[in-house]
Amino acid sequence: MSLPRWALAFADESGQTGPTDSAVDTVSSLATTEERVLVQQAQTGNRAAFEELVRRYDRDVLRLALNLMKRTEDARDVYQEAFLKVYRNLHRFRFECSFYTWLYRIVTNVCLDHLRRRQARPEDQAPEMHTAQFEEGGTDFFERQREHRATLDPERQFIGQEIQAKLASAMERLSPRERIVFEMKHYQGLKLRAIGDVLGTSEETVKNSLFRATRKLRSELGVLR
Amino acid sequence: MSAPEQKNTCAEIAELFVFYVCDEVSEQERVAIEQHVAVCAECRARLKEEYEFHAALRSIHPAGQEPDSSGILLAQCRSELAEALDELDRPAAKPKISRLGFLRRWMALHPAWSAATLVLLGLVGGIESAQWLSGQRNAQALDQAVNVRPTQQLTEDQLSKMVVAGVNLSPSSDPSSKNVRVLLSAEQPVELTGNLDDSDVRQVLTYVVRNGDRFDPGVRLDCLDALRARADNGEVRSALLCAARRDPNPAVRLKALEALRVSAADSAVRDALLEALKHDANPGVRVEAVNLLVRSLEAAEQEVARMPDAPEMAGGNMVQAGGTNAELDGSLKNVIRTLGDLRRNDPSQYVRLRSAAALREISARSEQ
Repeated sequence: MSLPRWALAFADESGQTGPTDSAVDTVSSLATTEERVLVQQAQTGNRAAFEELVRRYDRDVLRLALNLMKRTEDARDVYQEAFLKVYRNLHRFRFECSFYTWLYRIVTNVCLDHLRRRQARPEDQAPEMHTAQFEEGGTDFFERQREHRATLDPERQFIGQEIQAKLASAMERLSPRERIVFEMKHYQGLKLRAIGDVLGTSEETVKNSLFRATRKLRSELGVLR
Repeated sequence: MSAPEQKNTCAEIAELFVFYVCDEVSEQERVAIEQHVAVCAECRARLKEEYEFHAALRSIHPAGQEPDSSGILLAQCRSELAEALDELDRPAAKPKISRLGFLRRWMALHPAWSAATLVLLGLVGGIESAQWLSGQRNAQALDQAVNVRPTQQLTEDQLSKMVVAGVNLSPSSDPSSKNVRVLLSAEQPVELTGNLDDSDVRQVLTYVVRNGDRFDPGVRLDCLDALRARADNGEVRSALLCAARRDPNPAVRLKALEALRVSAADSAVRDALLEALKHDANPGVRVEAVNLLVRSLEAAEQEVARMPDAPEMAGGNMVQAGGTNAELDGSLKNVIRTLGDLRRNDPSQYVRLRSAAALREISARSEQ
């Protein structure tokens, strides 16, 4: 799975999967210095520098927002709100952590707010995608997937859609924090330690959230014994 | 190891599987898990299930798949953010108000000086505005269009991400010099103004027409409206042919065929018409193709008649305009065959009747 730019940056920063080759290290450190200069320029009110920072990370921000919020409109709101917050508060950034950790922290906070608001107002929730087949219950969906593996493509596509719809519906039932942890681990490729940094919590707490989220999802999908 | 102890170990190990499959266990835990599953069949099966669950999660978002693969949403977000930042950067009106407050206080304290200053300002303002107005009139007399354009031609990447907000045509007595105004939203909003001689305007319009699945049918119809005046241009004609063949909307295909009317004698246009006759699902489009085909043969015959020395002139113009007598004969046979097929087999009665009428017209002309 291809990882977003900041996932690689996190991995590099934590030293867990960072490249050992010295040339690569030099390139990486030059990129960090260049980013530091950009942030400093943006802090002095240089709009072009700020826009360059936005362009570096906004694809990943939008992907995270789309995957978490599931609705285009909500993802657009998260994108705008997060970057405006960054713009207004950039002067407060003191380089105590990397810029992307700080940015990611803002984005996840905005996502958490939106998800909590959505949970508090059930009438705003997106319609869940249930079909008759999803209600069968009791059958192991991986088994059904295997049965259909040899069949025609449109059918396989339908099975894929079925799993996706079921998972999306199960994700709706996770708490906002569990959902963010699950998304960041499995689809943004972040290490648990980096997720803890972003959410301002310990690796152990993130581990618990991931464990609970996985149990809930597996139970929803009918494979947990 | 006793049975309860074994059960205890299994439960502890199984709790780590979630982290094991996503590479989040310590070295010590990894060794413990691997040693345990090597001897415990039940835990091995559980681990297999965990891997299957993990694989299923990944299959839902396959590698490299972007939720916004077209980039349109990203372009919209960037454009909205730029607008919001412009709004934030706009200087606040507060300082002006306080300066005016100071002026008001000064005027209240010095009424005579204030009156004199206001009269003087009025005089200066009157003279200046009269001069400015006459300058404006001169500028209007020049009647120059104001073009706002990007500094460089739009790149393929920008075109692939653009959203067309609107296409306006300003009426003109000469249809070929009609002014076109295109409002785009690419990474930043862009407004293009110019006529069809302008390569930027042509590039955007032909791009929209060629990529029927990406733009609104209304916008595509407007673009065709603008382009039809330049159907004689190679780039425009190729875009029109592309729309006539591939556009998903029948109204757009029909309009593209109509726009090709002026180049009916072109052999490439004739091929597109034959293709539409054979494959287009919409009877209205097929009828228009029959009409144009008849017109196309007529135009090609006139062209050949006008140039009796055609073989000597073999080259670009003749080939493009419809070809030599031999080519025309070949085309004619092909057209007659296709129309004959349509007359017999087309599901639409109106298309069958129109094909029969077209065949009669063609045979009457060849007898003459």
